[in-house]
Amino acid sequence: MSDRNSVLERLSRRDAQRLEKLQKAHKAREEVDASNENEDFFSGSFKIKSEYVEDLLMQVPTLELHTLPSHFDNIKREINELQKYVVTSSFFLKEFNMRKYLGMVQNLQSKCYELEERYVPRKKFGFSKKKIPKSHTQKQGSLDDHDGAGKNDSNKWDEKLFGFDSQENKVLLLENDELYQRDVALRNLKNCTIGLKGVMGTLHLTNLENCIVLSGPVTSSVFMEKCTNCKVVAACQQLRMHTSTNCDIYLHVTSKGIVEDCSEICTAPYNLYYDDLEKHFNMSALDRGSNNWDNLDDFNWLAPDIPSPNWSILDDSQRIASWDEYWSKTPS
Amino acid sequence: MGFLTILKKLRQKEKEMRILMLGLDNAGKTTILKRFNGEPIDTISPTLGFNIKTLEHRGYKLNIWDVGGQKSLRSYWKNYFESTDGVVWVVDSADARRLWDCARELHSLLREERLAGATLLVLANKSDLPGALTSQEIREALDLDSIKTHHWRIVRCSAVTGENLLEGMDWMLDDIASRIFTLD
Repeated sequence: MSDRNSVLERLSRRDAQRLEKLQKAHKAREEVDASNENEDFFSGSFKIKSEYVEDLLMQVPTLELHTLPSHFDNIKREINELQKYVVTSSFFLKEFNMRKYLGMVQNLQSKCYELEERYVPRKKFGFSKKKIPKSHTQKQGSLDDHDGAGKNDSNKWDEKLFGFDSQENKVLLLENDELYQRDVALRNLKNCTIGLKGVMGTLHLTNLENCIVLSGPVTSSVFMEKCTNCKVVAACQQLRMHTSTNCDIYLHVTSKGIVEDCSEICTAPYNLYYDDLEKHFNMSALDRGSNNWDNLDDFNWLAPDIPSPNWSILDDSQRIASWDEYWSKTPS
Repeated sequence: MGFLTILKKLRQKEKEMRILMLGLDNAGKTTILKRFNGEPIDTISPTLGFNIKTLEHRGYKLNIWDVGGQKSLRSYWKNYFESTDGVVWVVDSADARRLWDCARELHSLLREERLAGATLLVLANKSDLPGALTSQEIREALDLDSIKTHHWRIVRCSAVTGENLLEGMDWMLDDIASRIFTLD
């Protein structure tokens, strides 16, 4: 008997617990304010928002031309918001309705683009004007070859360039503090010797012909482009050479050097010396112990087992052992 | 439930994003990737091919593809476009000479159909170097304001000091997340 009683008691207690839980859940559901998470509310507010966008679109023909771009930006922002609203409501919208609303957003979007196309003839970002090959003088002008809009800007940036530009038969020198961690540029030089005694951030060599570059340590990369018949003595973390021919590089490179579209490049170990070199090396934090001067990657030669024909190691007998006399004279 | 819906749900569950890092050579793409991943940055070589890193950040799984920027590699960029959620365009702020090149490559990239809808983060890298252009100057040079087809933002940063890298990335993740993980 007592058994039966205890079972009954347990059952009724369980039932009471179950009811209580149900009630709690029910109450909890009511407490969460979900009034704006149903389709009716959604369709209402969607309608208001989309009508607002349509109003904006209707205004387009009446507005002044110069206010149009910002007006269109505004419309696009609204459409974007609307789209977001639909997507974030996806958890209570029916699949079919969801698609319907997205379709409506899409319509607004295409209408907007149509109007923009018609009323704001867009200035295309143009590259139509191609560089005209001018055989020999092409290199000289290549930095200023840009078409209209680009030209002013490139001049504006030129003021920021630090280094030497457009010189012939000169001995040029920059030292210490002037160079410290700068982005140094040498370009359009012919028959020049350039000494750089200091620690640089980056060194750019562009369009050099028959030049000697004697450079202290460069913290990040040496970037060479369109150089011919040059001797470059440089220490750096990376060397990047492009479209250059017949250059000897006396190199200290702590990670890797690469060549691309180059030919007849020769490398030798870095052998420059000047009074503060040791100090400069310490300041640059380049590791003197690791030098991969004899291992360049060639982007035009990807066969790992056959050496690239575009670069080689400069024969011992042809290396210049000391640069002391070169600091002060132009290359012959 | 259609197949696409299932795919979408699967993806949501994993919270995975595919991010493509592009830019001219020597912009610092690999350095940014390594810095972001907490690896040493003093032995980085110019990228011959690509690097891929998978990392967790704020609960998202990021697949970051860093593709070399050398001229001879740019024609291969298109092989990496498929299903990209975000593009990080890395600019060398100290290299004014090639900004024109940079602008041209960027705008031809944005015309790419397979990148439609991807979020664009322009990182103005090396901003710690003396002589670096400001992000406003780069914004003008790259004509960023003409971009209406993608959500974009420019952030000045330095991969060497780590400054602003996370801020930029976080903006991009938020923007992508609001687009593809709308359920939560």
